[in-house]
Formats: sequence, C-alpha cells, structure tokens
Amino acid sequence: MSTILRGLQFYPGKTIIHKLDPRVKLVISLLLMATAALYLEVTIITIVIVVEALLSIVAKVFSRWARTVYGAAPLIILVFIANFLFKLSMPGQSLSFQSIYESLQLAYRLVAFLASFSIFFLTTTPEELGMALTKMKVPYMYTFAFISAIRFTPILAEELQSIVDAQRSRGLELEKGNIITRLRRYIPILVPLMVNVLRRSYELAEAIEVKCFGAKKNRTYLRELKMTTKDWITLSASITLFTVAIYIRYFSRISIP
Amino acid sequence: MREVNLEINEGEFVVLAGRSGCGKSTLLRCFNGLIPHFYDGEMVGKVEVCGLDTRQHPPYILSQYAGMVFQNPDNQLFALTVEADVAFALENLSFPRDEIKERVDQALKIMGIEELRDKSTLELSGGQKQKVAIASILAMHPKILLLDEPTSSLDPFSAKQLIDTIISLNQKHRITILIAEHRLEMLLPYASRIIIIDNGRIVLDGNPREILEKYDVIPYGVSVPRIVKVVMHLKKTLNNSLIPWTPLSVEEFVDIIRRWEEK
Amino acid sequence: MIIFENVEYVYPNGFKALNRINLEVNSGEVVALMGENGAGKTTLLKHLNGLLKPTSGRVLIDGVDTRHSTVASLSRKVGIVFQNAEDMFFSPTIQEEIAFALNNFHFPGDVIRKRVDWALKFMELEEYREKSPFLLSGGEKKRLALAIILAWSPDIVALDEPTVGQDILQKEKMIQIIRQANQQGKTIIISSHDVEFIAELKPRIILMSKGRIVRDGPSEEVLTDISILQECRLLPPQIVSLTSKLDFLGLKPKLARPEEVANEIARRVRHLVNYS
Repeated sequence: MSTILRGLQFYPGKTIIHKLDPRVKLVISLLLMATAALYLEVTIITIVIVVEALLSIVAKVFSRWARTVYGAAPLIILVFIANFLFKLSMPGQSLSFQSIYESLQLAYRLVAFLASFSIFFLTTTPEELGMALTKMKVPYMYTFAFISAIRFTPILAEELQSIVDAQRSRGLELEKGNIITRLRRYIPILVPLMVNVLRRSYELAEAIEVKCFGAKKNRTYLRELKMTTKDWITLSASITLFTVAIYIRYFSRISIP
Repeated sequence: MREVNLEINEGEFVVLAGRSGCGKSTLLRCFNGLIPHFYDGEMVGKVEVCGLDTRQHPPYILSQYAGMVFQNPDNQLFALTVEADVAFALENLSFPRDEIKERVDQALKIMGIEELRDKSTLELSGGQKQKVAIASILAMHPKILLLDEPTSSLDPFSAKQLIDTIISLNQKHRITILIAEHRLEMLLPYASRIIIIDNGRIVLDGNPREILEKYDVIPYGVSVPRIVKVVMHLKKTLNNSLIPWTPLSVEEFVDIIRRWEEK
Repeated sequence: MIIFENVEYVYPNGFKALNRINLEVNSGEVVALMGENGAGKTTLLKHLNGLLKPTSGRVLIDGVDTRHSTVASLSRKVGIVFQNAEDMFFSPTIQEEIAFALNNFHFPGDVIRKRVDWALKFMELEEYREKSPFLLSGGEKKRLALAIILAWSPDIVALDEPTVGQDILQKEKMIQIIRQANQQGKTIIISSHDVEFIAELKPRIILMSKGRIVRDGPSEEVLTDISILQECRLLPPQIVSLTSKLDFLGLKPKLARPEEVANEIARRVRHLVNYS
C-alpha cells in the first residue's frame, strides 16, 4: 500500500513536465484515462501505458512511477478475480477463454488509469494543485480545506504515533485478542486523538482569526497560474491526439488487436 | 482579569510574567480583540489600542495594529510554503499583488529567513517555524507585537535566536513588544518594563531592575535569574558602591566588576 | 540496570538517529540526557521500553534483551513519562485513568485501589479523584501523567522534557518529586535541554549530539565545559557563564550556589582592595 502512496507523492524536479501548468497536466492525465476508457483492446492500452512510461522518463520519475504500477499489482489481481467471479455468477456465462480475457482486459485497463494519475501527482506540488483549483474558480473555502488537509495530515500522523507510543507504554497491547476486544482497545487511541484534533482546531481558529481569514470577500492571491506558450502547445497536441483516438474508435474501420 | 489598569506607550518592551494560569495570556488577548469578540464571557471596562476601542472593532481590524504570535509553531502556519504563509494574512485582506510581494520580501528580510522562502512548511525546525509565524504577522505592519510564550517548545539555542530577533524588532524597528514568557533571563536585560500578574491582578509593574531589587517575585511564579541572586548576596556582604545597579545579564555583571577593578 | 551495547537506530526514512551508543546506567542512578532537538534523546528513551528496537546492537534492561520482549512487559519495569501529558487521557475520571495501566499489568483489584490512592496522594491530586482529566489545568495534567506512571512503581522512570512550559514553582516541585522517587530506589532518566533545571538537580549527564554520546560525566564536570556545551547547542547555566567570565578575578567556571559565588567574588574583591 505504501508503494502506491509513494507513487502519488510529489517528487521534486526541474523537468519540462514539472514546469508545465498543473491544469495542462491534469488535462493530459484525464485524456489518457479517457483514451483508456474508450478502448479495451490490449494494444491501445499498452500504447497508453507506454506513453505514460515515456512521460515519467522525461520527468525523471520513472522508478517511482514504475513502483506504483508494481505496487498496484495486488489490487489489479483483486479486481481481476472479482470481475471474473462476477461474470461467472451471471446466468448463461461459462468458464471460457473469452471471459477470462475480458476480465484481464478490465484489470489491465485499471493499470493505465492508476499510472496516468501517478504522473500528475508525482510532478505537481500541492501548492500548484491549490493554485489550479483557485484559477478554476473553485470557492476558496474548498481550496483552503484541501491545502489544510495536506498541511496537517503529517502532523496528525505524528500525533497518532505519539498517542500509540504513550498508551503502549502503559501496557496497552493492540495486537492481542479477537476483533471485538481489539476494537475496544482502540478507545485509548481514538479518544486522545479526537481531543487533540479538537484542541488543535481551537488554536487554529484563533490563529486564523488574527490573520484576518474571511475579512474580505474578494481575496487576492500572491501567485497566480499563467499559461505559457509551451503549455498551450502541449495542451493542443494532447487534445489533437485524443481526437485522433476518438476518431479511430468510432469513425474508422480499422480493426485493432 | 480583575481591576486591570494599564497604559503602554509606543516603543516599550514589556514582559508579562507570572505563574501558569495567572492571566498573562488572557491579558494579551485583550489587545487584539480576541477578547471580547472570539471568547465568550463578560468584559467590563474599556481597552483602547492605537486609539481604537476594542469592543467596537473586530479582530481583523485590530490585528493590523496588534499582531499576535502563539506558542505552538504548528498551529499557526497554514500554507504549504513559507512564502505563501507570510502572504496569507495580506491575501485575506485583499491587498494588491505588488504590495503583497513587497511586504513579504520585507518581512522575510527583517526576520532573516529569505533563504527559507520556497521551503515547505513541513520541513522547518521549531525555531524556523516561529520566525515564519512572526514574519507572517509583520507583513501586516503592526505597531504592536503580542507574543504568547513563543519559545515554549524551542530548545535554548533556538529560543535565544528568536528572542534576539524580537529584541531587534523593538530596538531597530520600534515595534512595541508585549511578550508573556517564563524564560526571563534572556529577556530581562532588554525589557523596559515587567508586569507581574497574579490571579488576574497586576501585582507589580515597573522597571525590571527595580522590581527584582526591591521585591521577592518567586511566590508569584516568576523565576529570578541566578545572577540576580548572586548580586543580592553580594550586596549583603559588600557595600553598595561595588554594584551601583542590578545587572540582569552575565555581560552586565562582568562589565560592572571589570570597571570597578580598573578603578 | 540499563545497558546499551553498540546501539544504532535508523528510522524507516533512512535517518540514522543513534550512532554506536554504548551506555551503562546502574540501579538507583539519576541521569540526564542532554542535547539539542534532534540529537537523539527521545529516540534513546524509546529504546528503554522497546517502543523502538535497535537496528543494530542491543539494549538490556536488567539483563533482558529488548528485542525479545514486548513493550508491555518492558513497560512494567520502565515507565516513560512523555512530553505531552494530554496524549494519553481518555478516561471519565482521574482514578480510572490511573487504574488503566494497573489493569493492563494485571494487578489484583485491591492492590489497584491502594496504588491509585497512593498515587493521588503523592501527586496531590486527591481532591480531583472523580474529576475528568480533561478539565485539569496544565500543571495538574502534568502531575496526573506522573501519577499514572508512578502508580505501577516501575524500577526505572524516564521523563521526556518534564519542564517544558512550566513556571519556577512547578519546576521546584518536579525536582522534589524526582528526588523522592530516587530515594525510593528508582533509577531516573531525564531528557532535558533545561540547563538551569538540570544544574539544580546535579545528576550524571550524558551529552548527545547528532546521535552520539559526546560526554558522560558528573554535572560539575559537564556543565562547566563551556565549549562542549556550545558544540551541542546548549547554553551553560548562568552561574557557570558568570564564573568563567570573571576569570580576571581569578575565578574558574564552576557550578555553585549563588551564595557561594557571591562569597567567592566578595573575597577576591576584598583581596584586591587590601592589595591596593
């Protein structure tokens, strides 16, 4: 699980991919996903994945990207099995090569989905994400909530560890017992955590008050996203390619393996 | 708070001292409108800050005159980068972009943290976080800086660095300082005034040297710097001409003795 | 008896927090771990009850290797009072809070009652017995944290930064409690960067810097070695600073009480007066 998470975390770099406007990167990720959604054919999906791999190489995050894909293997297998069993449970279906293959295709497509978002998150800082949301006219409240989540999650994680340490030091054994007794043993973890979160919220509310949060309706911003020529070119190229993909899918008679 | 009467002039460096729970933090919050606007309770009397009645103005106005820095470094940083955090308050106040940029640059410079500009707030040390916190308040150009035990969670070295910066804010930039602290040895030599609070009441108010000379402040939970204790004992054994005034730091003490020795 | 043999600890992110730590603490000693934030003090403390296990080397608590023990069983012997007391409160009343650990350690019911009573008395919290731990003041919460650990009477008591945010009266109380616990035969380990507090207590000092022990000795020696204190980003106690700067009077850096220093200065001053 942590390898998947690692592949979704920002990895600093100065490549052209990193420098692209986050909105462009978001669009590219979405287009790649959409392309994968249009097709089940293994060749196309493979092409999509190869494109993503190439992007990750340019962004110098290949190993991390590959690790996400690798780390997602258990998930992929799970999806495959689930889908296959679901197919079998349908009336009139039998164990055939065709149904196995279809389930495989579905699972394989999931790889393309995951991989495309991995690129986005690996090369975009949370701040850029925040700025993208602002530029897209998302109300500030939501952007702020998003940024706060990123800002405070590591702190809460540390706090949780602190609490677990303190309670274990009082003889609390979390590993022992059956499901029911184990759940009860988490009370000494959850209560202090909630209290901590509540207290922290109070202090944060004070601090944000003295920083004039909500004082004016038209909030201004120090930094703003601006599309450069490179951004526009990349964007148009991606849209063009996507249009070609749609065309091939719906309007041409080319058959694809 | 009980029957508090107080007047603080521009440029003063005031230390608020007293045991935990004596009312120092409450008093500080009277100066930026958190009391009465943020907290429930009853307030009797009037507080005027830079001519503004705190009952008539919301915290976001008063905070531009009296900025506040809190104890916990993490619970007052909101953005993901240092620059974004220093700009935060100004953005909330709808300042135009170039003015925000200018003020942010200035604040980072005054606090000596320009090299931290693009750093993630998650990577900073405690001392660095507190400096960012102060910078983000300085960006509003307040005349007064209210500090509620800002060095509590810092190690002595970082604490000294932070206090030195606060002192220079007062001496170089003429910012009025009101600081509640337990760690008095580093502050007292530079403070123009100490106010000792006990049970919500001001029990002592004056020049730190005079107060420490004349009164026993330990029952009020105020720590007396060790050297002051040495001085007290010296005065008992020798005559007063050796130590004409109470030194509050090691440097002052050594200086007095050296001068005497030269004579 | 605590033994650290060539202990190294590397955090999962690759940071080496402890580097070849060799340490022996005997029963009944009072030891202070000092050093700046990040020097490895808390990491070392967590090795005492197995919360962290060395990535190389071993830690022996009364002969028991911590790698082969559970945190629960080690905690019976080693009580750690962490910095944030609030991190452990979850019970409706203080006495239940104190009883929690005693229950975990399988103390019989009547013993639990006695121990809770004793702990409440010792830490002067009797009047708050039925009170919610969340409604206590900051100082009272700290006392409760101590009561909780002392209730099960561990042989070794470790305190992580016990004086943060405390006023002088609370600190004096803390010193009393530490001395009392030590008199009862407990080994005390304190992690602190409060030099004045440690100077008052005068324990054996283990000075750490960047994961290593750079000095291990009595307070009188370590707290007067100004250069090594500075290396570890610690400020010497004021008295030491003063005496070292009065070298022109013939004074040497010393850890002494204010009266003693005053008398020493007075003597030298009279000496000079007589000479001139």
